[in-house]
Amino acid sequence: MTDTMAITGLGVLSGAGIGAPALAGALSAPQTTDVSEMFEEPLPGGQAHALADFKVRDHLGRKGTSFYDRSTAFGVVACQEALADSALEVDDENRTRVGIVLGTTAGSVKSSWDYTTETLTQERPYLVNPVLFPNAVMNCTAGQAAIRHNLRGPNATVAGGPLAMLNVLRYSRNLLNCGYADALLSGSIEEFGPQEAWRVHHAQSLEGGDLLPGEGAAVFVIESAEAVRAAGRTPDVEVLAVETGVFDPASAGSGLADGLTLCLSRALERAGVTAGQVSTVATAANGMTRLDEAEEAAINAVLGSDVPRLEVKEATGETSSASGALQLAALLARHRGGEAGDGDISVITSRDEEGAAGAAVIRGWNRAHGDNG
Amino acid sequence: MRRVVVTGLGPVSSIGIGVSAYSQALQEGVSGVSPITSFDATGFPYSIAGEVHDFDPEQLVKRIETEEWGRTSLFAASAARLAVADAGIDEDELARSRAGSCMGTTAGESQVLERMAADRLSAGYAELDPRLSRKLSAARVSQAVNRELRLTGDAVTLSTACSASNYALGYAFDLVRSGEADYMLAGGADSVCRWAHAGFYRLGALTEKACSPFDANRSGIITGEGGAALFLETLESATARGARIYAEVLGYGLNCDATHMVAPDKDSIADCIRLAHKNAGIEASSVDYICAHGTGTQSNDAVEAGAVAEVFGEQPPPMSSIKSMLGHTMGAASGHGAIASALAINESFLPPTINFSTPDPALPAIDPVPNWAKAARVDVAQVNGFAFGGNNAIVVLGSAA
Repeated sequence: MTDTMAITGLGVLSGAGIGAPALAGALSAPQTTDVSEMFEEPLPGGQAHALADFKVRDHLGRKGTSFYDRSTAFGVVACQEALADSALEVDDENRTRVGIVLGTTAGSVKSSWDYTTETLTQERPYLVNPVLFPNAVMNCTAGQAAIRHNLRGPNATVAGGPLAMLNVLRYSRNLLNCGYADALLSGSIEEFGPQEAWRVHHAQSLEGGDLLPGEGAAVFVIESAEAVRAAGRTPDVEVLAVETGVFDPASAGSGLADGLTLCLSRALERAGVTAGQVSTVATAANGMTRLDEAEEAAINAVLGSDVPRLEVKEATGETSSASGALQLAALLARHRGGEAGDGDISVITSRDEEGAAGAAVIRGWNRAHGDNG
Repeated sequence: MRRVVVTGLGPVSSIGIGVSAYSQALQEGVSGVSPITSFDATGFPYSIAGEVHDFDPEQLVKRIETEEWGRTSLFAASAARLAVADAGIDEDELARSRAGSCMGTTAGESQVLERMAADRLSAGYAELDPRLSRKLSAARVSQAVNRELRLTGDAVTLSTACSASNYALGYAFDLVRSGEADYMLAGGADSVCRWAHAGFYRLGALTEKACSPFDANRSGIITGEGGAALFLETLESATARGARIYAEVLGYGLNCDATHMVAPDKDSIADCIRLAHKNAGIEASSVDYICAHGTGTQSNDAVEAGAVAEVFGEQPPPMSSIKSMLGHTMGAASGHGAIASALAINESFLPPTINFSTPDPALPAIDPVPNWAKAARVDVAQVNGFAFGGNNAIVVLGSAA
């Protein structure tokens, strides 16, 4: 396989804290936080998987960060952490060849929402703050991350909701394989706030489930696996295949299950992996009965019922567009923490209410002692 | 790599819905700008926009339920439906194929968000309608296309603001040429909304009466809306089924200014133009027409003309802005530009920059194709798209002949 991607750095923020060990810890012992004092607006509940004490200046200083919204702050910090975790050195020689690809649902919904509210409540509808206008637009985080880290390569934002990270991985693979970039900071973000908390609440009123809302971001340094190995370096994770599609969600649930089955089978085939080689499935299970059943049916059909499931949302809460990134980060964290073995193959599955489905096949190693393929 | 061609066009715009109406309007230099009706513009000093008043999704989509989708997703699905009809491909065959969609957007379901924000002020968060809340995700802009056409491949929404359609067209081109997909719908969609209108006004980027790009007295943008979709397939498949080929996608370039969120950067845009030419395998001298980003603000037009002069020298090709007619359709803008450019190639004309009266002595010498379309042979067209966040994307189309 010449078109696989290597992950060579990770920056992750979740309700459990910053860094892979915090996320790994939450996988075995999930914890929630009191969020009742975070916002003036009412929330559906007082607990969430949120970084309640997060302050952007603690991580990036005050300069240039005072107008960041929460999504932007998360994204820029995750990019910084990912770069620090990797051997990638960005300089004037390569900065036009290093890009950013970030996933979202609808940007910082709080930023666009607050902007709209200003137009409805101010004495004049145009009395909005012009400095905050870019925050209301979905590509704010990627643009600010490029400025902060001076990265001039392709800069993309992918609105994929729960499928965002799988879309980001496919988009990233194309940028690398077609020669648009040599390295990417690719990841996905969701911020906690009144709008997101209520959005989760209302979605659960339609689809079931009672997971607490969460938030987070995970950004990965991604390069061509072939190029990484040719340079004598080693990947933390090799992304072997990513397949996505959209299927009819209305056909009695079977449309989505069949669709995910198709994506999963295709992903295994393109990865050159058999079902028996898969050691873990990081699922998107979130208590929404129709969707969980479709996902389980597909996993059972392709991988069987015995493959251990890692229900990442138990640890992170419902993180919408960050969920795929946190599934991937959780698998990587398990390799770092020793819970997963060198060379183990894992699968990530995802699905949403509109019939989108996808699966990724990855292989991971421990950086300290793995032979890294 | 396979050669990729455009065989179907689906414009939904304030100057025309469907390829015939759109092409005619471009050739006649029609303005699509009118007083705002989609929101209460009371209190806004400037209150005109390029709204698509005669947009009736019920008449355009066949499969998805219009009440389940926001206006932007319906623009996207309608545009895609028009593009498929224009391409003349059998719908069932398309649904069975490896096919998907890639749509760009700036603000996604902005009208859904505004309705929710208003409902929250009147009734509170707990009383928000869950079915409305479900429409908020911008992922649905491309999902609506797949659901409408039963496409089971990728559905990707690229939300890279005002160059998003060019990103989408570029990615769809790559998916087809690399063999990842056989057919793709690519383009973009956006809806006129309060917060964007307010934001552009407060940035000083909004004009009161008419958008007049490259004019000495230009004073800003008019917000606009609509959907744009292009149907892409391989040259081989188009030839085999005897399809009309509008244009070939030759390549595209992407880069990022990484300097400022709002102000464009001349050197970075010049770099992006060179990158697009290199990726398309052409020399600057072979470009016959530039479909400008051309927003009509002082700064965009000066920077864009400067970058073009830097790359093309003293006599750049004619460069017009269709935003003078449509307003700024945001995430659909470069899609509308790509459709106009495909028509320019296929029907041998240059779309005009309307509202033009006075050349700007401060700009390099450019030909904005003032006020009237011009007959001209176009073999290679360059579609410029720039955006907040420094997200530059430029697509190059060529005659497939």
